[in-house]
Amino acid sequence: MPKRPPVVFYVNWNACIKCGACIGVCPHEAGFTTPFDTIAVDTPCDIACMACEKICPVTAITSRLATEAEIAAMS
Amino acid sequence: MVQTVEYDVVVVGSGPAGSTTARVAAERGLRVLLVDRRQELGSPIQCSGAVSDNALNEAGVRPNDEFVSTPIYGFVTYDTHGNATTMDYRLYRETPLGYVVDRRRFDRYLMTMAERAGVEVWLKTDAKGYTPHEDGTVDVHLNRFGFPQQVRTRVIVGADGLQSQVGKWGGLRTHIKLSELASCLQLVIDHVETDGLLEIVAGHEWAPGGYAWLFPKGHGYAEVGLGVIRTITDKDARWHLDHFMQNSFMAERLKNCRILEVQGGGVPLAAPLKKQVADNIILVGDAARHVNPITGGGIHTALRGGIIAGTFLGDFIPTGERPTAEALTCYHERWLDELGHAMWKLYEIKTDIFREQSIPRRDQRLYDTLASYFSPHSEFRKV
Repeated sequence: MPKRPPVVFYVNWNACIKCGACIGVCPHEAGFTTPFDTIAVDTPCDIACMACEKICPVTAITSRLATEAEIAAMS
Repeated sequence: MVQTVEYDVVVVGSGPAGSTTARVAAERGLRVLLVDRRQELGSPIQCSGAVSDNALNEAGVRPNDEFVSTPIYGFVTYDTHGNATTMDYRLYRETPLGYVVDRRRFDRYLMTMAERAGVEVWLKTDAKGYTPHEDGTVDVHLNRFGFPQQVRTRVIVGADGLQSQVGKWGGLRTHIKLSELASCLQLVIDHVETDGLLEIVAGHEWAPGGYAWLFPKGHGYAEVGLGVIRTITDKDARWHLDHFMQNSFMAERLKNCRILEVQGGGVPLAAPLKKQVADNIILVGDAARHVNPITGGGIHTALRGGIIAGTFLGDFIPTGERPTAEALTCYHERWLDELGHAMWKLYEIKTDIFREQSIPRRDQRLYDTLASYFSPHSEFRKV
């Protein structure tokens, strides 16, 4: 399977119910999280499996493609 | 200079599994530290709070007004169209079959029991990692109220839930597939009558991959919710719950409801972890996937896992044996004998149901399984 391009997640804090399901399903080895118990929003995700977007019971998570600068800053 | 304190066991996470492990280990004379990163246990609520009287009894927890929202006397299982199988145990017994508990109060109550048994409890304490030593002990790196602290211990118990960090430290395969994690949404509601029964609705139309429920919550309140598997539906749990509340056979009953709380979570409908121990580490509760894969119920399995883990540690630590993964495997074996083999069997039943491609046939099998599961004759009554 071709590698998917990295994405940056956005959490709609008004919709989020702090249920933790997004972290529960996240395959990242080290905690890819915010202090508010959601998926990380400040750094690109290079797995881009989108399981966190799917599991969210209230569709509080959306995403966009990471910019070149954001990807460069990861390494 | 960070000061090092010594314990026999450090338990990470003070849900039902962690606090029960800690309490049982302390009752057996061990020095136990229980840490939790939250300020209020049980919160945010991610659970409907149904637990059997039998489960509380086994764990030595007497039902108490402090945490019981309401007693439960039986079940109603519905198919897609509302045809029901009712099992009201008031026909057989006067005492409750179980309870719906308030997880905020229940988890605090269990932690208090642990604390009174001699467990040291630190809230607002995050576990960040550990360093093993030559002598078989480890330093656990904690962050307590924002300040680093470390403690030395022999065994770390990961009771830190589905997203277990302790499991990851130990290199255990804790990752769960999207197809085995139910996306759940639940509303606490007013103006809906219930009758001491847990009401469960099977059917792909309302809850693809899971089921919907209406539980009494006491004080005239109820809980309505559902869990769905997102690999078989394009819609989120909220859409499905709206659809269920507006269009199902329950719509008339639910039409005047007022929403008092919104809760959600990911509930594993998965197999238990194949490996639940590593050097200096054991997992218990959601972290080890100790969840009933048919009902999604996890309190009973967490309490029982906690008793098994705490008892094992009470036997193991005094031997002075090095807590290698091999030595700790004994815990996993005890757990399999007492509970795990039955959970594996349930997982096979569940997998078999969802392998069925025809939706009407799958719905029927899920309905039959749930209805028989709650019957007085079910072989799984104690799981």
